[in-house]
Amino acid sequence: MSEMEKMESMSCNEFEEIVDDLDRPGTPGMALRERALAHAESCADCARLLTETESLDQALHAIASTEGEQQAPAWVESALLREFRFAKAGAGNSNFARHVAALGIAAAVLLAAGLSLQRFESAKGIGAAKGNQTAVSTSASATPGGVETASEFIALPYADDPDGVEGGTVVRVELSGQALASLGMPVSLAGSNGSVSADLLVSDDGTPQAIRLVSQEEGASQEF
Amino acid sequence: MTKATELTDDGLLARMIAGDEDAFTLLYRRRHPSIYRFALHMSGSAAIAEDVTQEVFMALIRDPRRFDPARGTLGGFLFGVARNFLRKRWEQDRRLVALDGDANDIGEHSVNGNGAGGAASRNGAHANGNGWHGVAGADEFATREMISRVRGAVATLPENYREIVILCDLEEMSYEEAASALGCPVGTVRSRLHRGRAILLEKLRDAQGARRVPVVRT
Repeated sequence: MSEMEKMESMSCNEFEEIVDDLDRPGTPGMALRERALAHAESCADCARLLTETESLDQALHAIASTEGEQQAPAWVESALLREFRFAKAGAGNSNFARHVAALGIAAAVLLAAGLSLQRFESAKGIGAAKGNQTAVSTSASATPGGVETASEFIALPYADDPDGVEGGTVVRVELSGQALASLGMPVSLAGSNGSVSADLLVSDDGTPQAIRLVSQEEGASQEF
Repeated sequence: MTKATELTDDGLLARMIAGDEDAFTLLYRRRHPSIYRFALHMSGSAAIAEDVTQEVFMALIRDPRRFDPARGTLGGFLFGVARNFLRKRWEQDRRLVALDGDANDIGEHSVNGNGAGGAASRNGAHANGNGWHGVAGADEFATREMISRVRGAVATLPENYREIVILCDLEEMSYEEAASALGCPVGTVRSRLHRGRAILLEKLRDAQGARRVPVVRT
């Protein structure tokens, strides 16, 4: 055997490796098809393997041809189309719900922004009110009932920023122990008669923002 | 404007996601036959193949964005979904074709195994000189019988070889397409196909040894 023939010859192992690909486009086996066929001509075992492989290919091709038209029955498509319409309707409802939710969120944001703005505008008011605290106290102390003392304004628990309330109004009230508790104040502050005088700093929207307790005694002062 | 029939699978899917029923119908009609046949060959049951086909496209309707074009073709994705449904079905219901006996006969794993191949070899033909020969000119009856035997042999292949033979030899996919469908390297497809076909030949030799029915060139 010449060197060229040796180079071009194929071993049985090589043949076996590529025999499945001899008719398969784009595979290394197809590229070596001529050499493989030449080998099979000189090797009885590989010739037999080639015949078997070709027979298998033909049988598989016949199955593919005869069964190639098989498909799922029409009811499957009908069921899927129902599901598709259902899913589409669901997606539509879901989109509507999302739009409603988005509008709701937008409205809430606008409302919050409006309230914030209102509180911001009121901030100067409480500042002014605080500035007038002395005057209030002073005027209160000028009442003819005796000496009146008052604590500093204390922020109520739910007030956002009572110090920032502008234009608030101070309202004198008489609070029971229960009312004190509802404002987050110690019930013990109520006097022996179960109530206590207090000034409420009320913002423009009518919300109490801060409280100070007032004591009115003849010639005495009470620190809180 | 592009006609729907001219659209690629991805184009149809995009329209389907936008709610276009015609696009879905077209996509289904284009893709479902191969899925159905794959499921039919894998399960050996028309009822299971119908169920699997339905489930595959139901999954596409319910969550079409599970398909990632960067990871392969839509066809490959659908085959992958079909495989998963078949495996679930297999786990739930042992009514699929019984394979264990044949698999064990040739030293293979069970159908759900993922072995790289056993000792069965094409060299069976070499050893006994009594291979599975093709005989030209045989009659139609012999042809049908031979096809039936090959179909039966395919149905009894271990799962990981069977799906490759179905995709590459019955659905005539390229190695690359099959690799995409199965989510494995091309080399794995090639080696499993080689091994699966070797097992098929072994089975057919055995059958022929028992019955001596000629193979027919169609």
